[in-house]
Amino acid sequence: MFGRSRSWVGGQGKSKNIHSLDHLKYLYHVLTKNTTVTDHNRNLLVETIRSITEILIWGDQNDSSVFDFFLEKNMFAFFLNILRQKSGRYVCVQLLQTLNILFENISHETSLYYLLSNNHVNSIIVHKFDFSDEEIMAYYISFLKTLSLKLNNHTVHFFYNEHTNDFALYTEAIKFFNHPESMVRIAVRTITLNVYKVDNQHMLHYIRDKTAVPYFSNLVWFIGSHVIELDKCVQTDEEHKNRGKLSDLVAEHLDHLHYLNDILIINCEFLNDVLTDHLLNRLFLPLYVYSLVTQEQSEDRKITPQVSLYLLSQVFLIIHYQPLVNALADVILNGDLSVFSAQAEHNAHKTSANVGVRRFTKPPESLERSLEMSRQRGRKRAQKRPNYKNVGEEEEEERGGVDEGPEEDKAKGTEASSKGSRTSGDTEEIEMVVMEKCKISDTLTEQNITDEEKSAARAEGQQSRPFLDMVYNALDCTEDDYHALFVLCLLYAMSHSKGINPALLEKLQLPAPDQERASYSQVLVERIIRVMNQAAQPDGKIRLATLELSCLLLKQSVLSGGQCIIKDVHLACLEGAKEESLHLLRRFYKGEEIFLDMFEDEYRSMMSKPLNVEYLMMDASILLPPTGTPLTGIDFVKRLPCGDVEKTRRAIRVFFMLRSLSLQLQCEPETQLPLTRPEDLIKTDDVLDLNNSDLIACMVVSKDGVQAQRFLAVDVYQMSLVEPETKRLGWGVVKFAGLLQDMQVSGVEDDSRALNIIIHKPTSNPHAKPLPILQANFIFADHIRCIIAKQRLAKGRIQARRMKMQRIAALLDLPVQPSSEVLGFGQSAAASSQLPFRFYDQSRRGPADCSAQRSVFDKVPGFAVAHSASQHSASPLSSPSPPSSSSGSTGQCDSTVTTSTPSTDACLACILPQSSSDAALESFIFILHFCLPLCSISLACLTCDLCPLFSSSQTRQRWPSARLLCPPPAEARGGGGARVPVPVPTRADGRCSSACSPSQPCPGAQPDAGRPAHHLAAVRPNTDALSVDSLTLLPPADPPRLRTFSTQSSLQDDAPPPPPLQLQLPLQRPHLEQEDGRPEQDPGPQKEEEEEEDGEEEEEDEESKEATSSADKDSNEPEPSQPDLEGSQMTVSGLAIPRGRLLWPRGRV
Amino acid sequence: MAYAYLFKYIIIGDTGVGKSCLLLQFTDKRFQPVHDLTIGVEFGARMITIDGKQIKLQIWDTAGQESFRSITRSYYRGAAGALLVYDITRRDTFNHLTTWLEDARQHSNSNMVIMLIGNKSDLESRREVKKEEGEAFAREHGLVFMETSAKTASNVEEAFINTAKEIYEKIQEGVFDINNEANGIKIGPQHAATNSSLPGSQGAQQAGGGCC
Repeated sequence: MFGRSRSWVGGQGKSKNIHSLDHLKYLYHVLTKNTTVTDHNRNLLVETIRSITEILIWGDQNDSSVFDFFLEKNMFAFFLNILRQKSGRYVCVQLLQTLNILFENISHETSLYYLLSNNHVNSIIVHKFDFSDEEIMAYYISFLKTLSLKLNNHTVHFFYNEHTNDFALYTEAIKFFNHPESMVRIAVRTITLNVYKVDNQHMLHYIRDKTAVPYFSNLVWFIGSHVIELDKCVQTDEEHKNRGKLSDLVAEHLDHLHYLNDILIINCEFLNDVLTDHLLNRLFLPLYVYSLVTQEQSEDRKITPQVSLYLLSQVFLIIHYQPLVNALADVILNGDLSVFSAQAEHNAHKTSANVGVRRFTKPPESLERSLEMSRQRGRKRAQKRPNYKNVGEEEEEERGGVDEGPEEDKAKGTEASSKGSRTSGDTEEIEMVVMEKCKISDTLTEQNITDEEKSAARAEGQQSRPFLDMVYNALDCTEDDYHALFVLCLLYAMSHSKGINPALLEKLQLPAPDQERASYSQVLVERIIRVMNQAAQPDGKIRLATLELSCLLLKQSVLSGGQCIIKDVHLACLEGAKEESLHLLRRFYKGEEIFLDMFEDEYRSMMSKPLNVEYLMMDASILLPPTGTPLTGIDFVKRLPCGDVEKTRRAIRVFFMLRSLSLQLQCEPETQLPLTRPEDLIKTDDVLDLNNSDLIACMVVSKDGVQAQRFLAVDVYQMSLVEPETKRLGWGVVKFAGLLQDMQVSGVEDDSRALNIIIHKPTSNPHAKPLPILQANFIFADHIRCIIAKQRLAKGRIQARRMKMQRIAALLDLPVQPSSEVLGFGQSAAASSQLPFRFYDQSRRGPADCSAQRSVFDKVPGFAVAHSASQHSASPLSSPSPPSSSSGSTGQCDSTVTTSTPSTDACLACILPQSSSDAALESFIFILHFCLPLCSISLACLTCDLCPLFSSSQTRQRWPSARLLCPPPAEARGGGGARVPVPVPTRADGRCSSACSPSQPCPGAQPDAGRPAHHLAAVRPNTDALSVDSLTLLPPADPPRLRTFSTQSSLQDDAPPPPPLQLQLPLQRPHLEQEDGRPEQDPGPQKEEEEEEDGEEEEEDEESKEATSSADKDSNEPEPSQPDLEGSQMTVSGLAIPRGRLLWPRGRV
Repeated sequence: MAYAYLFKYIIIGDTGVGKSCLLLQFTDKRFQPVHDLTIGVEFGARMITIDGKQIKLQIWDTAGQESFRSITRSYYRGAAGALLVYDITRRDTFNHLTTWLEDARQHSNSNMVIMLIGNKSDLESRREVKKEEGEAFAREHGLVFMETSAKTASNVEEAFINTAKEIYEKIQEGVFDINNEANGIKIGPQHAATNSSLPGSQGAQQAGGGCC
């Protein structure tokens, strides 16, 4: 903007070296000759001023005499003189730029002191520039900002004058706090923060006494106005048309909160008091919290509840200042409407003008005027007592000023008083009221001792907690999850807030992370589970983000110090929801390739992008009613699905989340997902035994022309490029391995011996461009080999995908297509044929039996842990004689049993699938008998895995003795523990992996170690896992039974067994509304029974506690296996075994 | 004051990479870069011409405010363009780019144009970061890249103007909502304002325009 053409006007002819004292002297001369600004000398002056800047900076860095001269001649006075002549924009801008440069570039403290010493800077600060000019405004505020960055305990004295109570830098800056230009507002905020940061008590007292109330009350009003604008935007934008504006308003609100938080964390105590008072009583409570409960038509209502919930979540996520957030949380959790009225009463007798303290009202006068008034008052007193120093006395005087304030207010007829004279005395009183209220509610709740009583008390005292009620009620998702998502966020934010006293949350049994506790809020957990159940419904209106947050909160509620304290009834309901999600997903299951890709994509994106609540709450799009259309650009997890593909994705994700939650709550590891674990795959530099593999030699020419001689090998899931191992014959080192499923093979046009192969990296984002990890031409010796390779790869690809599809099908309990042949290193024919058999057997069992089928199915595939089992089973598998003769099998068992339990399991397991004939079964049962004393646990596991075989009535009749296989509970309880030295939660795979690392194929072991051996694994690894699942997989006939059935107390329950199979999932109806947190009771005969059980329950509860504690002591108990038995027994009609007897205390695993 | 658009820029990067010098070098040609003098400034404005349209660039240096989260956040949000600067003679300033970029992406609006600048290209002998590395980083993250020297003024013009061109193109494509000032873009005052402005300031403007 400044022309070069006019440069150096002043520098002409004098000195060659423009950076010198001499040149400064010359410039001084120019200034003295041109004291009046005219059109003619304007350019000369501007250039002179500019040159002076340059010399001063140079002087600061090189020659201090320059500064001496500048001060000596009082050259700053010339600047001021020019400024005051209304010399126009051109000169003003130059002066401001000069000052900016000057203060920014000066490095020596003494130079800085020189510049600041004679108060000229303050005169410039208060100069009335033409602020309507945006450039002047920008340079001016930058100048102030530059100065504020130089503030420290020493320099502050140049700006803050104790005697005159002037602090122009600060007071002039805050006048622009609501400037329409965002950059100006940011600069103002920077200046205020830089000021508050300076630890100078006098200055800070001045800030608080003279400016804090006007500034903060105006700031709070400014924020509140934005909030109301935001709310309007939400209400008028149901169509998602105005998203840009809405997201700006949301970002603006976040900016405000971050700014407030930045002030609060400077931790200037008395400033924070004032700010906290204003925020609480003039913004958060009256505007945000009050809007939660006001009626829609009420005039008092400023914003809608959903906006209010959303904003409150942001508050708790960002601000952690204890006095503020704790008081705010207390009102939400414990407060009632008297918070507003009592405040008014309290004030009524003090000063009638202060009635509306807890109101969101406009400050009676502009900030500028308030500052002006307070300054004048200060002046008056300062004149009275010029040497006034004592701060305490000053406060006293201040209080004198209070009288003035309200009077004026009355005269104006305004409610609020935001006079600069209102001091912290008022503030404290206001806070005390809040505290008193806390105390009352404290005592109320503390009287209640037990959890049940607590929740009962909550039910009774519902009228007294309108805000909390609103919050809980908003979790209802019958229509949509619009409100529920915000409530979950709010609860999450509150429970993670560092500023909220844990006792406050504890009182309501709200989830606080990392805290040991023995109980949780039943109301909350039940409502959350209901959200989950709704998410699993086909027409559920629950967004994925809501579900994920529900899972987070539920985990937080019921997991305490590594222990899961969830009540069985809740767990059962949750399992019900999981089952629902399974059913839902089955509807979308397709045997198509795309389903597999979606399935794996969803798993990856779920794992790679866990929900970040803070980011979620920055997103304005969730403020609008949930929508299904992707055209809005809203992230998939934050909207409802649109079209079949998205519905499928959603169903997959719901299933994943509920499955993972269920496993976590039962402290079980995930053994089936992901479909391919990275550690199971062949990796570069692995050394493989290739003796039985088909290899094809080829030349690999990569895209950038690098050539390499390699052997192509095709495994189950992967293709690999190997080169021979130098030391061991028949072994190879893997140079590249890629998944067959992501491979594209195509011919090369002009070369019949070559193939072009591309393998893409799997991505979690379906829209991202796939990134190739291999892109090369493979050149074979001749076209025959080329065709063979192509066929093999193509077949391998189909095969790999089919295998995975089978595993998905197994996971969903769906019938599985048999795969004719499986490629792989060193595999046996038996291996491939067993897998389909097993699935077939299950699938043939028909829909009537489907719960039983599920209970097994759910556990069957277990491929992820498969190969650890397969390693143990190595020896029996390779044994030449099939286990058809009892003696042979016995021998085998003998040998393995003596070595280790896992291998016994494996040994038995490997027999099982082959025992399709009755003869084999007979021998198998014999083995079981034989081994019974030695490995009761494994047997128990196996028996239950066998249940499909047994449960076909034909087999059952032939093998009635099968029942005997189940070790009596007492025996197992007593003896089993000693035999199997594993802690309770440890699952079968855990044991195996400790025996031999599953990821590393041990050299010398079976070469198929890296390849999951489904037929073996299918039986073995998940046996333990069955235990808890089966409780819900076999839902009871009626909801009340569910509880008894699944609680430990049922051990003593001698009630006759209900009909063995009813596919009634308790959660299909909303049972959870009951106050006592138990499922709704069906009318009729069950009711009696229920009451009976009710009576027993209390004792039983105690007993079960004992049982739990004893289980804790004796952690070797084989608990997990027991319910399996029970589960499988249940499926066999006609073979009723009293369930209660077989039920094993699950313990609080 | 006649401009078609006003673009707000911010300059980010580690301290000492020469942000404020770049800014001064671009906004005020009168401060000649000389051997023994380094001058910087935290705010500057300048008029440029793109596609026959007068465009005013307003550049805010965010130095010294990193300690306040609210401030950095707001700055990012209010800008249409950002110059992300590192010093080619200091490897650590290059290593910190990822953090800066993450911050920028998180807080800014998604359309903000970010230009990566390797400054102090005059100090070839002390170079620690190869030009190719800067190029690769820019390619990877979808940024425009340029090496500049605030001292010799090499490429300084280009850096600012190319960024402006990209913003301008985005406006033409309708990506930016120009009616929303929160994006860091402002439509100029009506043409009528041109006539009423003072002759002096007009002259200054023309001069300013002339030096690009």
